[in-house]
Amino acid sequence: MLTFDRAELPAEAETLRAEVREFLKSNSARLPRPNSDFTTGHDPAFSAQLGARGWIGMTWPLEYGGRGRSFFERYVVTEELLAAGAPVSAHWIADRQSGPLLLRYGSEQQKAAYLPGITRGESYFSIGMSEPNTGSDLASVRTTAYRMGDGYLVNGTKLWSTDAHRNHYMVALVRTEPASDNRHAGLSQVLIDLKNDGAQVRPIRNMAGGEDFNEIVFTDVLIPEDRVVGNPGNGWEQVTSELSYERSGPERFLSAYRVFVEFIKAVGKNPLPHQSAAIGRITAHLATLRRMSISVAGMLEEGKTPAVEAALVKELGNNFEKLLPEIARLALSGSPPSEGFRQAMTDTLLLSPSFTLRGGTREILRGVIARGLGLR
Amino acid sequence: MNDTTNLIAESAEKMFSDLVNKAVLDKAEEGVFADEIWRAICANGFDQLGVTGSGTGLADLFHVLVVAGKHALPLPLAEACLVNRWLGSNEVFGSIGCVEASQIVDVPWGRQASVIIGIAPEGLVRNKGKNARAGVNLAGEARDSVELDAQESVACIDDPFALLTLSRVCLMAGAMQTVLDLTLRFAQEREQFGRPISKFQVIQHQLAVIAAEFAASLKAADAAVEALGTDRFITDLAIAKARIGEAVGVVNELAHQIHGAMGYTHEHQLHHFTRRLWAWREEYGDEIYWQTRLGAIVVEQGGDGAWDYLATSR
Ligand SMILES: Cc1cc2nc3c(=O)[nH]c(=O)nc-3n(C[C@H](O)[C@H](O)[C@H](O)COP(=O)(O)OP(=O)(O)OC[C@H]3O[C@@H](n4cnc5c(N)ncnc54)[C@H](O)[C@@H]3O)c2cc1C
Repeated sequence: MLTFDRAELPAEAETLRAEVREFLKSNSARLPRPNSDFTTGHDPAFSAQLGARGWIGMTWPLEYGGRGRSFFERYVVTEELLAAGAPVSAHWIADRQSGPLLLRYGSEQQKAAYLPGITRGESYFSIGMSEPNTGSDLASVRTTAYRMGDGYLVNGTKLWSTDAHRNHYMVALVRTEPASDNRHAGLSQVLIDLKNDGAQVRPIRNMAGGEDFNEIVFTDVLIPEDRVVGNPGNGWEQVTSELSYERSGPERFLSAYRVFVEFIKAVGKNPLPHQSAAIGRITAHLATLRRMSISVAGMLEEGKTPAVEAALVKELGNNFEKLLPEIARLALSGSPPSEGFRQAMTDTLLLSPSFTLRGGTREILRGVIARGLGLR
Repeated sequence: MNDTTNLIAESAEKMFSDLVNKAVLDKAEEGVFADEIWRAICANGFDQLGVTGSGTGLADLFHVLVVAGKHALPLPLAEACLVNRWLGSNEVFGSIGCVEASQIVDVPWGRQASVIIGIAPEGLVRNKGKNARAGVNLAGEARDSVELDAQESVACIDDPFALLTLSRVCLMAGAMQTVLDLTLRFAQEREQFGRPISKFQVIQHQLAVIAAEFAASLKAADAAVEALGTDRFITDLAIAKARIGEAVGVVNELAHQIHGAMGYTHEHQLHHFTRRLWAWREEYGDEIYWQTRLGAIVVEQGGDGAWDYLATSR
């Protein structure tokens, strides 16, 4: 569990890397954005271009629009996009987690209906887990979807759903049966059509000035019964299985990468010794995290569910994303910052509180690791 | 790791867990050379790891050093093997230090060595004299010095300073594993307020942090060993020494905190590992030394080229 086996990116992955870079170069007019956070650039035109190249849902079977590529290849595409500061948030959740969820638990009809649009980069998904009274304690969700005729009647409020005001669908964790002694029973995942079902979506302004996350209110929203993903009541197992995909990717340690780029540019070719050391320190963390994340890609490729390994990558990666700007700013102390550095720094610092919250807080991840160590 | 490397590491594990214990470590700190272990090492050919014609390579040596670190082996196995590798001979016991002014310093068990090699910027020198002055590092490990004498130079295709650095990297990865294991065990056994302290969330979180730092350290060490003989070796070595050095501060602090006063006693074995970690992070370049070398390599690539360089490494 603490040994991250060696995994080498195969030759196809490196060929693909060159193609992604070529593509990014041809898009240089809109790149880079000043930060490499995966949630801040919602750009349907860009996502559609990626879809056209076969870089969304690329590990999925051909019949659903996938390309049957390996997790290593997906790893390379995602890290190249993030490092370049590309706008990836529109398709990110669908590609990373909603699609794989549907692939694993969805009905044949659901797979045929939803997956091809995702792979084309045209259909976007949000996560509907959190609620006003449900954060870390996910099993406490109160939103209900009770049987009503041929469908389900949804009532309740989802909170913090990133891009729900821009995206098409949400996978919501709801109670299909009243709460009982077994907290994990009676939960289900349902698909919500955010544009057409009648849910009210309200963007919430964040401290960085962006309007990315939302409140979604359901008042007697009726959805057809074929919107349940997997078996009714199986929601807890499904939602926890999403998390290995959610936690180990390069977006968990590259959010501050643009600060590093601007930092290196700012020190130029003749850095002071302490500046070289700062760059080396950042590199040592980054290179190690990258190897750990690639190792997890290898485990996913072998069909494993590396939940604890993913938590380790996220724990170390999120701490590093917060440490990087701190190292860089002090190493440049005394010299006037370049405009590029100032921009990247401002963006990244303002986003940084979210790094150790979204996708499971640091405290929750440490709990996952502790459980893996046999302490709980 | 391939199968032979695994087998070699497994038999090292068996040998060291049979022979190294608290009493042996205490004796070594009192200045008694662990002769019995040294003879066992030679009898099993572990002094020949990485020596041409031995059927083993450098990677085998470094994997065994992780095991040596795990047990705090009180002998300079890396130095002994590398002397045999460079001199192509089966010396009784050789050791290595760095040339500083007119001396070779920080020679592990130099007082015991029949040959001492000094690493200088110009290359390796082989010393004749055996009148080593005894000294110790912060872990109480023998670190002796000798006057530089005959200065017979030794030809070698390796980067000696880098290989010795890698030895400390691997030793640290191993020792850190034991610090984690000891701390996990202690936390589950020690009871306060009517339950094992491992049931307190704050202790669980501290153990999670130690585990994460160890996992990163082990990955960094393994990557450096994997890069042996490639043009990325110095980069991966710098990454490893810098990353593990940083982990040591965190791991040692938390491990001692969790162990309470018991871990502060001489009687407890924890300090044999934590003190070695503190000592080894200084030897053959501390974090700043390797971060600076690494930074210089990255700066060469420029801000836009850095990613290409980083992503090309495995
Ligand atoms: C930018 C951003 C985007 C997000 N996007 C989405 C999204 O798309 N969909 C979605 O469903 N959610 C989303 N979230 C919500 C996110 O999942 C939650 O913020 C997270 O699960 C924590 O819940 P909370 O904020 O209610 O904090 P709480 O759970 O109330 O926690 C507050 C503090 O208490 C700590 N704490 C809680 N329980 C424990 C415990 N048992 N032991 C120790 N400490 C504890 C936490 O670690 C935290 O430090 C997003 C959040 C952010 C910041």
